[in-house]
Amino acid sequence: MANLTIDNVKKSYGKTEILKGINISIEAGEFLILVGPSGCGKSTLMNSIAGLEEVTEGRILIADKDVTYTSPKDRDIAMVFQSYALYPNMTVEQNISFGLEMRKVPKAERDTEIQRVAELLQISHLLDRKPAQLSGGQRQRVAMGRALARRPQLYLFDEPLSNLDAKLRVEMRTEIKKLHKKLGTTIVYVTHDQIEAMTLADRIAVMKDGEVQQLGTPQEIYDNPANLFVAGFMGSPAMNFIPAKVIEQNGTPMLELAAHRTSAIPFPRPDSLTQRIGETVLLGLRPEMITEPQPHKEGQEFVMTTGVEVEVTEPMGADTMIITRINDAEINCRSNPGYLAESGSVIDMMFDTSKAVIFDPKTGQRLDI
Amino acid sequence: MKNNSTARNTSGVTKLLRIALYSVLLIMAFFYLMPLIIMLLTSLKDAEEVRNGTLLSLPGSLNFDSWSKAWSGACTGSTCTGISPYFLNSFKIVIPAVAISTLLGAINGYVISLWKFRGSNLFFAALLLGCFIPFQVVLLPMAQTLGWLGIASSTTGLIFVHVVYGVAFTTLFFRNFYQSIPGELVKAARLDGAGFFTIFYRIILPVSTPIIVVTVIWQFTQIWNDFLFGVAFSGFDSQPVTVALNNLVNTSFGGKEYNVDMAAAIIAALPTIVVYVFAGKYFVRGLTAGAVKG
Repeated sequence: MANLTIDNVKKSYGKTEILKGINISIEAGEFLILVGPSGCGKSTLMNSIAGLEEVTEGRILIADKDVTYTSPKDRDIAMVFQSYALYPNMTVEQNISFGLEMRKVPKAERDTEIQRVAELLQISHLLDRKPAQLSGGQRQRVAMGRALARRPQLYLFDEPLSNLDAKLRVEMRTEIKKLHKKLGTTIVYVTHDQIEAMTLADRIAVMKDGEVQQLGTPQEIYDNPANLFVAGFMGSPAMNFIPAKVIEQNGTPMLELAAHRTSAIPFPRPDSLTQRIGETVLLGLRPEMITEPQPHKEGQEFVMTTGVEVEVTEPMGADTMIITRINDAEINCRSNPGYLAESGSVIDMMFDTSKAVIFDPKTGQRLDI
Repeated sequence: MKNNSTARNTSGVTKLLRIALYSVLLIMAFFYLMPLIIMLLTSLKDAEEVRNGTLLSLPGSLNFDSWSKAWSGACTGSTCTGISPYFLNSFKIVIPAVAISTLLGAINGYVISLWKFRGSNLFFAALLLGCFIPFQVVLLPMAQTLGWLGIASSTTGLIFVHVVYGVAFTTLFFRNFYQSIPGELVKAARLDGAGFFTIFYRIILPVSTPIIVVTVIWQFTQIWNDFLFGVAFSGFDSQPVTVALNNLVNTSFGGKEYNVDMAAAIIAALPTIVVYVFAGKYFVRGLTAGAVKG
C-alpha cells in the first residue's frame, strides 16, 4: 500500500500530445478511477504509471519515491488487463505463482500465497485448469488473483470488466468494491463506464483530450461538475442542458422556460446571473430534478410547476422517463410510473432548480462557481 | 412449395455436377501421381525389363536390387559408394540449418511483433526483401563471404548460407503468427518481473507449436531440396544428396541404369515426403492459424 503522485506528466508521440500535463495525487488505500471517452489518454496514463510507456515530461512517485525512470518490474505494481492477459500455456496455479517465482519467492511461501488468494477469490477448484477452460468471469477472477498474489504497493485495473456480460459486470463490480474495503489497497482503475466510476471510486478523475477535467469524489462530480463535458459525461440518463434566457423579475435574475406556456424559474445563485441579463445560458438540470408534482416540495423556493407536452415515455420499471421539449431542447424527466403521461398530452411537471448548475454556452465553463 | 420443386429439379443436375467434379479431380490426381508411379515401377524392374518393356508395364517381380545399388553401390563420378554418404551429408546440413534458422526467426518475429522499436516495421520490410532475392544473385558475393569467413567448401559453410537465406522466411512466419498474440501478455509478464528471454521461453514459445511446425516443414523442404547452393558451395565430402543424385544420373558406364536412377531419386525425395505425410495437417493448420479470430 502506497500513495501515488503524478506530477505534471506529459506524453507526446511526435507532435501529437496525448497527455498535456496531468497532476493527480492519491493517498495510500484510496480508490482512484480514471474515466473518459476513448482517446482521452486514460490508458496511456495507466501505462505510464506502470512503466510500460515512458513519459515525455514530469514525474511519477510511488510511496514518495520517484519511479519515473524505473523499469516496470521494480515499481512493485500489479495490473489487471482488459483481455486478462492470462498466460495461455500455464494452469491457473502457475499463472498466479509466476510473478512470485520471478521474484524468487521460495516454493513453500508461494504455495501458501496461492492458497490465500484462491480462497479469497473462491477459485480454489480451478487451480489445475488452463485459461482456455475458464469462463469469462473465472478468467477475470484469476487475473485479479495474479495481481493480488504479489501484494504489490499499487494495483492498476485497465477496464477489467468491459469484456463481461452486463449481469456479471455488476456482480464483479460489487466484488471489487468489497475486496478493496477488505484489503485497503491503493487502486487506480481505468474505465469508460461512468456507472462503474460512480459506484467504485473514492475519487474520480474525469479526463478528456489528455487533460484532467475534474478530480473529486463521485458525489462532488455528480452535483458540482466543473464544466459542460463533465456534467454531460457523468450520470445516466445524462443531465439536461436547457438553453435559457436570463430575464429580470422584481430585481432578481430568473431563467425563462418555454414549455407549454412560458414561465420564469428562480436560480439558487442569482449573483452569477446578474451580469448576463438578456443573454442565453445553459441550464443544467438532472432528470430526477424534473418530476411529477410532489406535494411535500410544493411552495419551496426553487420549485416551480408548469405544463409540458409529452413527446414520448420510456418506462424503466422503477421510474418512467418522460421526454419533452423545453426551449426547443429535448428534455428527460424522471417520474413515478404511476403518474399518467400519454404521448401528445400536456401534463404538469415540477422543476426543482435547487441543484441546478449553469454553463456558458460557448466555452462550456461553469458560470456559478 | 416452389422451393421444394426447384430443389427436386436441381438435385439431378447437382448429381451430374458432382460426378463431373469427381472425374476431373480423379484425372488430375492421376496426372500428378503419374511420374511417381512410373518412378516406382521403373525402380522395381531389372535392366532387362526396363529395356524391353514400356514405361507403364508392371515389373515381373518385386526386385529391390536397384534400390540397394542406388543406396550403397552406384557410382557418382569416380567414387562408387551409392548415395548413402551424401544422404547423411544432407542431414548434417539440414538439421542444424533448420534448427538455427527457425530459432532466429522466432526471436526476430518476437521482437518485431511484441517489442516494437523505432523503425521495427522498416526493419521487417527490409528483411522481407530477402524473400524475393533469387539464389543466383547471391552466389558470387556469398562465395567471397564464405572465403573470408574460412568456411568455404564445408558443411558449416552450407549451414551458414541456408540460415542466412532462411531467416527472411522464418521471420515472416513467426512475425505474422505473433501479431495475433495480444501485447498485454508481454506487458503482464513484464510487470510480473520477467525479462526478455524469460518471457520468450516461458510464455511465447510454448504457444508457438503450430508455427514452429510450419517453419520446420518449410525450411526442411527448402534446404533438403536445394541444389544450387549445394553444388556451388559444397566440398568434395560435404555434397548434399541432391548433388550426388545429379552426379549419379550423369555418370554412366555403357547403358543407362534407369532403375537405379529412379530408386536414387525416390530415396533422395523420401525425407520431405515423410515430413509432409506426418506433419502436413499441422502445416495447413499453422498457416491458417490467426487468419480467423476464434
